[in-house]
Amino acid sequence: MTKVVKPAFLTVLGLLWLAPVYLLIANAAKLPIDYSSSTVWKPAFGTALFDNMRDVWDRADLSSSVLSTAIYSVTGPLTGVLIGACVGFAIVALRLRHGFWWFVFVFGGTVFPLQMILMPLFVGYADTGLYDTRLGLILVYSVISVPFSAFVMRNFFSGIAHHVFEAAVVDGATTWRIFWRIYLPMSKSALVAIFILQATFIWNDLLLGLTLSQSDDVRPIMPALTSLQSTYGGSAMPVVLAGGLLVSLPTVALFLATQRIFSRGLALGQF
Amino acid sequence: MAPGVLIVAVLLYLPFLWTTYLSFTRYRGLGSPEWIGLDNYQAMFSDPALLTSLRNTALWVAGTIIVPVGIGLLIAVLTYNMRFGAWFRLPFLIPYAISGVAVGVIWSFILQSNGALSQALDAFGLPGAESRWLLDAPLNTFVMIGAAAWQASGVNALLFVIGLQSIPKEPVEAAKVDGASGWRMFRSILWPMLRPLTTVVVGLSIVASLKTFDVVYVMTQGGPGRSSETLAITMYRETFVQSEYGQGGAVSVVLTVVTLAASIAYLRRQLSERRAL
Repeated sequence: MTKVVKPAFLTVLGLLWLAPVYLLIANAAKLPIDYSSSTVWKPAFGTALFDNMRDVWDRADLSSSVLSTAIYSVTGPLTGVLIGACVGFAIVALRLRHGFWWFVFVFGGTVFPLQMILMPLFVGYADTGLYDTRLGLILVYSVISVPFSAFVMRNFFSGIAHHVFEAAVVDGATTWRIFWRIYLPMSKSALVAIFILQATFIWNDLLLGLTLSQSDDVRPIMPALTSLQSTYGGSAMPVVLAGGLLVSLPTVALFLATQRIFSRGLALGQF
Repeated sequence: MAPGVLIVAVLLYLPFLWTTYLSFTRYRGLGSPEWIGLDNYQAMFSDPALLTSLRNTALWVAGTIIVPVGIGLLIAVLTYNMRFGAWFRLPFLIPYAISGVAVGVIWSFILQSNGALSQALDAFGLPGAESRWLLDAPLNTFVMIGAAAWQASGVNALLFVIGLQSIPKEPVEAAKVDGASGWRMFRSILWPMLRPLTTVVVGLSIVASLKTFDVVYVMTQGGPGRSSETLAITMYRETFVQSEYGQGGAVSVVLTVVTLAASIAYLRRQLSERRAL
């Protein structure tokens, strides 16, 4: 009995969960003139999807946002992960004095909500000329990646026997070399997991991009999508939906491809 | 090490302190902040719009604990020891990889008055097709919690599956021998053994729901009026729309205090449980 009920129940629930995805794709694939709000459940066939995407890409100028966001999602976590790894290395391998408290200090950076830092960042960026620059956004995205990276890397480095470090010192390796050549390569899996999580977070960020940038070249993709919705929403719904689909494709693909690393990254971050 | 501490200090802690200071002042971005003590906080707890925002945030927290955590647990328990379980979980995981903004775009499309949801309800002869989903409070907050749950359930399921798979086999087998199955197995064996993980998932959900911004910003902008604002939206509005930096600071401080209190409460519970083991 349960053998039938359980899969059936899960299938129904799963289809229910996929219905919004279906609606997104079906309506993003209709030309704005064919679109009517009373026939949203009707499937669409043809190549209108690509026309709409091209429309978003060129006319709504999402291409420059996509480029900027790609830059942020790579450089931000990369810098953040490296600095976080340095912090973890200093605490664990170099046995820094009061290391635990330094760790608490760095990790404490993630505890409070982003809202606490928005306004000073906005004012400070305006004063220093970092407002609405790619450099400014790279900087802030790097910094917010540091605490989580430090947290995971500290846990990970704790798992590496201290003898490894001592042996390398005896062999005459410099501290920098030990970090770069031994500790970093040993923790590749953790580094990749953090990188993926942080890159996804940055790609999906709305709040920081919204407050710290305004021009089309600098503004990340999510704030760009919200303004697309307010300008095109209603009349050209398919174009907006095509935009939503377009910006979701990279993260969905990345997530499906790395599901295992992803869930391990989650587990790393929580225990 | 030093650069790490330095940039965290300059870009995270310094702003944090500054916001706290500004929350006790009247400051509109020009001139210098004027010290007004607790006035911003007093205003916050007497302004009806801010009280609505507090109430909505509480709704978000309660809703997020119940809906996505509950659905996640249900899916995890049903699929963790099942053949093709991972495939059955896939539909729930796809929304997780979609951003809050895209979720908002999709759902504001579905929830238009007479939109996709209303048409579906109508087709199945169910009531509610006339609802103005996003226009009436508090209905708009409830449906947005639903949209957020659509996104978040999958990852909770994933976390619960990790937890369920790490439960030792012996007690489960023993319970099976004793004739336990289904609900009783869940109630007496799985649920107690999942407790530590449940604390983590609930704690994370609380912290995340307190900061709810993206979905609301896209779907209603906190409106109509200010009826569906959450604290995060209110902060954004006070600061960047109204330029009331001091008032926005006060909202941030309240948000932070609540978040910290919630995190400490759940961490302490978790730690004391660890000690008891």
